[in-house]
Amino acid sequence: MSREFDHLFKLLIIGDSGVGKSCLLLRFADNTFSGSYITTIGVDFKIRTLEINGERVKLQIWDTAGQERFRTITSTYYRGTHGVIVVYDVTNGESFANVKRWLHEIEQNCDVVNKVLVGNKNDCPSRKVVVTEDAQRFANQMNIPLFETSAKENINVEEMFLTITKMVLKSKLEMKERQNVTSNDTVHLKKNHKTKKKCC
Amino acid sequence: MWYGPNLQRSYKYMMFASKMPSLRIDKSDLKCKNGCDYFGNPQWQGYCSKCHREQMQRQRKAEKESSATLPKPEQKKTDRGLKITSHSSFSKFEEKRLRQSETLKKANLLKFSVFKKSSTDDHDHSAEKRLPEFKIPAMVNEGMKSDFRMKFSQLSPSMDRDARVFVHSFIMDVIKCANVLTVDELSERVQRQYQRFMRHMDTSSHFTNVDSDTKELLMDFVEKHAMTYLHELPSVVFSPTGTDDERLDRAMSERIQQLSWVGEKHLECKLDRSNAECRQLLYKAISELLGMDSALSPGGKLSRVRRACRHVLRLCSHAAPASADDLLPALIFTVLKANPPRLVSNINFVTRFCNAQRLMTGEGGYYFTNLCCAVSFIENLTAESLNMDKKEFDSYMAMPASIGGSSWAAALSLCGAAREAQEQREGAAQVLAQAQQLQARADSLAANALSFEEQIAKKVQDVLAKTPLEIKPRRELPRFGKFKEINTAALIDLGSNNDTEEPKATAKQPQPQATTTQLTEPVYTATDSVEITHKQPDTSVIVQPSDEPKLNILGFEVIERESPSKSPQNWDLKKTGSTELLTPSPLGFTPFDSRSIDELMTPDEFVTDHLPPGLSNINYDIDLSDFSGDNSIAEDAPKTENKDPFSPDGLRKTVPFDPFAPQTSKDYAVLESFDEFSFVHKNQETDPFEVVHRGNNPFSPVEMRADLENDPFTPQKKSTSILDDNDSPTSACLLPSPLLPQSSKKST
Repeated sequence: MSREFDHLFKLLIIGDSGVGKSCLLLRFADNTFSGSYITTIGVDFKIRTLEINGERVKLQIWDTAGQERFRTITSTYYRGTHGVIVVYDVTNGESFANVKRWLHEIEQNCDVVNKVLVGNKNDCPSRKVVVTEDAQRFANQMNIPLFETSAKENINVEEMFLTITKMVLKSKLEMKERQNVTSNDTVHLKKNHKTKKKCC
Repeated sequence: MWYGPNLQRSYKYMMFASKMPSLRIDKSDLKCKNGCDYFGNPQWQGYCSKCHREQMQRQRKAEKESSATLPKPEQKKTDRGLKITSHSSFSKFEEKRLRQSETLKKANLLKFSVFKKSSTDDHDHSAEKRLPEFKIPAMVNEGMKSDFRMKFSQLSPSMDRDARVFVHSFIMDVIKCANVLTVDELSERVQRQYQRFMRHMDTSSHFTNVDSDTKELLMDFVEKHAMTYLHELPSVVFSPTGTDDERLDRAMSERIQQLSWVGEKHLECKLDRSNAECRQLLYKAISELLGMDSALSPGGKLSRVRRACRHVLRLCSHAAPASADDLLPALIFTVLKANPPRLVSNINFVTRFCNAQRLMTGEGGYYFTNLCCAVSFIENLTAESLNMDKKEFDSYMAMPASIGGSSWAAALSLCGAAREAQEQREGAAQVLAQAQQLQARADSLAANALSFEEQIAKKVQDVLAKTPLEIKPRRELPRFGKFKEINTAALIDLGSNNDTEEPKATAKQPQPQATTTQLTEPVYTATDSVEITHKQPDTSVIVQPSDEPKLNILGFEVIERESPSKSPQNWDLKKTGSTELLTPSPLGFTPFDSRSIDELMTPDEFVTDHLPPGLSNINYDIDLSDFSGDNSIAEDAPKTENKDPFSPDGLRKTVPFDPFAPQTSKDYAVLESFDEFSFVHKNQETDPFEVVHRGNNPFSPVEMRADLENDPFTPQKKSTSILDDNDSPTSACLLPSPLLPQSSKKST
């Protein structure tokens, strides 16, 4: 089958307004990776294909509006999402404080989903407000991997996206195995598309 | 057969039967079906308005009862389907507006399926056996075929067939299930159908060589055609039964209208309203959003949304690259200004029946999700979400919708108008193209007409070039012959007076006479001709013994009329003739009119037109004198004479008298009176008389000799008296004068 990707994942970037979600996205999309290509459609909608363990994974990354007043209405974004990237600004304590609310939001909209916590704008130590230790402690508490990145300096961005992709792929493969064990009928056919596994 | 046994009759009937019945509607057919004496209407199922209303009320009542008692209409579907067909159009119309019970709608759907029965479909499928009463119109098949050929020209026809089979079964399945399942279940089923087709493409041998992109395109293709058809069906997939979509549409529309005061500053979106380009983008986005309702398939709607959002994105990214933080407020603002029709129904339609995979992934899905967020934001909009005081918000909300956001409302209406104008312009362009084609054809037609005209003109010219040749011989040959004839006649006229011997000279003479008369008084031409004609018979009668019969045989009238007036040759002849005329005339008359004629002679010789002036002069002189002499008598006399001449016998008698006894006093009186008469009636009769006189004199050639002989006698006597002098030339006229009026009257 001449398909240019084996898996298609949808990732969601959430977080307060102005934490640099779009910049992360841009950085990730603008970076050229070996054996991968980028399709730039919109600033806030990116597709990128990665190759992980010999499997081609196509990533669709959706940016979301982070404003407080849109928080209640963004539930539709979560539909069919495989992984969520929660972003906060290391120079903005409030954005870190809001992470809890964002995680709560995810729980409300998705049953099971892979998440990563990302502290962006980690390029100016003098302005850093959210200390890595606090963030790490919180991440461990929530059982979420933490990444401190800088879209501006292109620090850790690639690794962060690779990690979330691997997590999603792993969970999908696990789901497939489980599915093979149990009978097919019990699984919702609607969400059991051949190329992807939905988590919510 | 209904026509009679009579063969002829039956044949006639058959003729009529073959032609007429389709056009002829019996009056009774137009009457109300109920038999009341009013006329019915096909829109009212053949009832009159009153009966139809009653019928409708009865049906509605029956339906309500049945819906109350029968939650599952499936059991009675055939009966009810048949029963409800009768008010299809009305209910179809109504259900757009009114929220009706679910069962009624389902009944409508059944009715619909029965209603569609007549449409034909050449597509064989097993589904047809299960549901023989419903067939998909051939239009869907044809549209798919052509579309498939256009989009997937490289793919094998077996895939085309597979796709069509799938679409057919898919549509059948949806229609069948629409009555039974709730919307969510139906949506689930539709999604399963999509997956089924995807699996089919993955497993089927037909699709082994197709890559995934093409498969997705095929998927879209299938979805598009199936959903386009289903979209048209009332309340099956679009704002389906059992949902609040229509009500929500109205609520949403009203709410957006109420929120028209919300501006960009409330939403904190960075819009540059002063920028014309920015406004243009916004209008484009609004236009696309408005166009979403007119797209039929979910894919079409999605692509509309995508385009709208791209415009919005560009709208936001005038300074820095836009993110979702900018996109969503701008999109909300756009939606608020656009107020797209049936927004909720459209969104729900896409959400339920678009291929879920595409909706959850891909750019279209992303933007559609954003749109959904915008809509839900508008739905739940509060003072808090706009970061404004609740009182202020309430006061804004209490404000009539028309006041707030007037500028944007105007802009919106302008945008809608622009969109309409665009459509109109396209239509106009088509019409213009047609008009131009017509114009071109008209021009070519005109050019053809011109060329044709030219051709005709050429042909006419060619023909004309030939025709003069034809005409000439006709003129020349007969003329000469006629001239001769005329000449003979003329011969008799003048020749009798002067020279009977030479026909040519005489021939010349009559023509100048006619011409002279014409020249002096053109009015006389007609009378002249008449007179001449009269002369000829006279001459013929008289001359016959002397002249040849050929002359008589030839058409005197026509020839004579034409010959003198038209041909210049005649003039030449005339000239010569005039001189000749004069010359002979003096020969005969010199003794009579020594004075007057001499006077006339001198000018006559020099001028070509001798005779007319000479004669007229003479006449005038005479007339004037005559007038002075006796008016009353003169008037009376000619009348009596005219009466006399009525009898040709009398005329002849007079004619012989004249030459014989011009001397008598009676004759003088007659002469005077005649002159006067002639003068008085100059316009009509005098001149001809003059002409005739000369002609008349010669008319009797036998007598002429006597005249000639007498002439010498008369002039002597005449010379003595002034009257005589005047009369002397006229005397010749006087003698025939009685003849002429006779002849003229004869002619008349």
